[in-house]
Amino acid sequence: MTTLSPNAAPERSPRTAPGPTDTPEDPPVLAVHDVRISDGVTDREIVHGVSFTLTPGKAVGIVGESGSGKTLTCRAVLGILPPHFEVTAGSVEITGTDITTLTPAQWTALRGTTISAVFQDPASYLNPSVKVGAQIAEVLRVKKGLKRREARHRAVALLRAVHLRDPELVYGQYPYELSGGMLQRVLIAAAVAAEPRALIADEATTALDVTVQAEILDLLAELREESGLALVVVSHDLAVVAQLCDEVLVMRQGEVVEHGPTHAVLHDPRHAYTRLLVAEHEQYGPDKFLDPEEAS
Amino acid sequence: MVRRVLALTSGRIAVAVLAVIALLAVLGPWLAPQDPLATSDNTLAAASGAHWLGTDHLGRDVFSRLLDGSRVSVLGSLEVALVALVVGAIPGILSVYLGRVFEWITLRLADTLVALPFLLFAVAVIALLGNGLTQAMVVTGALVSPLFYRVARAATLSVARSPYVEAALVAGASTGWIIRRHVRVKVLPPIAVALAQTIGVGFVIVSSLTFLGIGVQPPQPTWGGLLASDLGYLSHRPWGPVTPALLIMVTVWACNLLADAIRDVSGEAGRALVNDRKARANRLAKGRPVSAGGAR
Amino acid sequence: MTTTVLRAVPGERRGAALARLRHTLGRVLGVLARSVAIFVPVFLVATFVTFALRSLSGLSPARIQLGEEATPEAIQRIEAQWGLDKPFLTQYWDWITGVLHGELGVSWVNGADISTLIGLGLGVSLSIATFALLIGVVVGFALGTLAALRPTTLIDRGITGLVTVISVMPPFVVGIVLVAVLAVGLGLFPSAGYVPAEAGTGPWLAHITLPALALSCDVVADVARQLRTGLVTARGENYVTGAVVRGLSPRRIFFGHILRNGIGPALATLGLKFPALVGASVVTEWIFGLQGFGRFANDSAQAGDVPAVQGVLVVSIVLVVSFNLIVNLVLARVTPASQRGV
Repeated sequence: MTTLSPNAAPERSPRTAPGPTDTPEDPPVLAVHDVRISDGVTDREIVHGVSFTLTPGKAVGIVGESGSGKTLTCRAVLGILPPHFEVTAGSVEITGTDITTLTPAQWTALRGTTISAVFQDPASYLNPSVKVGAQIAEVLRVKKGLKRREARHRAVALLRAVHLRDPELVYGQYPYELSGGMLQRVLIAAAVAAEPRALIADEATTALDVTVQAEILDLLAELREESGLALVVVSHDLAVVAQLCDEVLVMRQGEVVEHGPTHAVLHDPRHAYTRLLVAEHEQYGPDKFLDPEEAS
Repeated sequence: MVRRVLALTSGRIAVAVLAVIALLAVLGPWLAPQDPLATSDNTLAAASGAHWLGTDHLGRDVFSRLLDGSRVSVLGSLEVALVALVVGAIPGILSVYLGRVFEWITLRLADTLVALPFLLFAVAVIALLGNGLTQAMVVTGALVSPLFYRVARAATLSVARSPYVEAALVAGASTGWIIRRHVRVKVLPPIAVALAQTIGVGFVIVSSLTFLGIGVQPPQPTWGGLLASDLGYLSHRPWGPVTPALLIMVTVWACNLLADAIRDVSGEAGRALVNDRKARANRLAKGRPVSAGGAR
Repeated sequence: MTTTVLRAVPGERRGAALARLRHTLGRVLGVLARSVAIFVPVFLVATFVTFALRSLSGLSPARIQLGEEATPEAIQRIEAQWGLDKPFLTQYWDWITGVLHGELGVSWVNGADISTLIGLGLGVSLSIATFALLIGVVVGFALGTLAALRPTTLIDRGITGLVTVISVMPPFVVGIVLVAVLAVGLGLFPSAGYVPAEAGTGPWLAHITLPALALSCDVVADVARQLRTGLVTARGENYVTGAVVRGLSPRRIFFGHILRNGIGPALATLGLKFPALVGASVVTEWIFGLQGFGRFANDSAQAGDVPAVQGVLVVSIVLVVSFNLIVNLVLARVTPASQRGV
């Protein structure tokens, strides 16, 4: 696990010590306070108040069935809600700045360098007409001001850092020439290229094979350990969240039904729905993720 | 679908204009106040009570000639569209079902026909195969048929190979039900759009040919012919070409408008249109300003 | 995970570069092979149909040369001279070998070499068609982009309305209006005739501007419409969201990602518009009194000069197919993903 820092972050600026050793006084990277989201078409409230804070190096998980509002919450945080949806109440602060005060230019400056995201169906999130390496290099050139050659060099290093075999070759390939797992690695490389402080992984492993899924989760954990990247992990799969996160929100029909440390939520679920999720996992899923040693 | 097209202002205008033109074509020769072929000494007269649009270089009543000539244009363009529909849509639908050889041959044929400049071909065919617009329109219809071939093929493919039709089949839906339910929604709208467009194209072609004096015997009035004869007397009647030109343009415009209206009310675009309206109505009802939540 | 470090040896670099080169070369060759695979059948079918026109028409050079009262013997003699007594397929074979060697035969009317006759007119027509395409692309791109940048606003609706008006104006109507207003009325341009480019760029441009404008309306309208649709569709794609999240500026996203992917339909339309341009030259050249390709086609067709008409059609097919080949190559370069599985 030592390849990441020398390859991916040779000129990384020194940052506060990451990881669970963080003191509570650290300013949160992301603070979501009672966010409510409405659909302008049906005029219904879809998300009824979500709150959480994310400090550097921490990982927060959001679990819930599809349609529970977890993706909308993420999109609200990123400022990319679909048409007709809007935040009707509550606030989102990214490194202390309320996002409603951000101008489009400030948003552009913030995304990529402070907060970034990867999604389900990685193929569709990459430009189909541009070589994947060039897309990573583009981020490096725009956000880090690197020259063409440097950017290329760094992009290859990033592709290597996300454990792609033969990064030189992958650099020159188009998205349709790569598999889903490889694309998700490329997408992660592009997302962390500008060294953001928080990464939102919205169902990032959902459509992948179980083995590939485990590798991607390892990669995210590695990034978090190496560079103090704070993670928001969204999934319908409790196991995924349990493996990565310190803190879990359980959402159902737009409502946060349970919120607390992963360990506590898994072992002492208070809400009936959480109990159901955990019970299902004990019954059907590999229960090693429920082991407290693994979860923390 | 008809009702939804008529619900749009543009759809109503298009249908009204086309209905008037169609009426002209049916009743024109009887509506004509004077004999369109009768010459007089009163040549190149300005518009007056006796001659609403004046007279041409042989003293014939322009208004009567316009009314009389509408039939040729309308019949010609309808012929182009119907021939194209039959020649294009049927192989297009069959190409999905009749195997790879048929598919390959029809695809190549469609490529070929598209590559032929149809006006040039129409001119050549009329000149070589003898007079009469009918032959020329059949040939033109065949030459523009690849539009229907592609549209019908794409629509059929999307229906035949789509998971939801397979699901319906598995669920035990009858073929008739599938056709009613899915084909009507997916296949008919694009074909209707293509039909409306082709009628417009047909109008331009008929007008172009008659403008060149091809395919009709000289005394017989046509819109294109009127335009051509007016061109020679621009200094005497500078406004002469305006009426036939406007008629041709308005008809083509109505066809395109109809095509756009059909497109707007069907499929994805239709849903987006409806959603937009609802969202706007909701926002207005609430008097709520647009939130920055969806900023991009 | 130490394996990744070990694999970063210098030799890997060259191997990867080589693989990349092979990759690119393979893609270009693939596009070329597919284009040729489409070109050959198109050419054969189209020329066959063209050639069959004579048999269908029943026209013969004897009629044109001898008049209506020719004796059957005289007709037969002349038809044998032209090789028309041979079996149909033999005739086609002779003709197509000639075509492949650039020989389009001789005119029935005056015995002149058809290739030469067409060559004379082609300069006029190609000047006009190229200029019309240029106007169409520039204006169409500007309008389409502007409308797509501000969808559902007043600008968008204004442009859409303008485009609709332009699109319903047939070339001959625009031509008449231009002649009446700019040439006859204001005297800004010559109303008819042609001056080759060698005689001076100014006069050449002056003579081809009006016909090119008349022809370009259709192209402007279609390019603008397709580009707007393409851009609006591309804007809703996930990779745009991806680019937004990576923190790229709206301008960069538009030019690098949206335009790159949304331009495909507009480019493909250009390929489809070219036959229409060639066809419409028949009408515009008539209005502007130009002795071009279209005029030659019309005159030959009216005179019943079958070899000349066939020659015209063959040349137009070659023009159209080569133009489409260029469009396909550009498309393959701009949107490589769309070339897969065609």
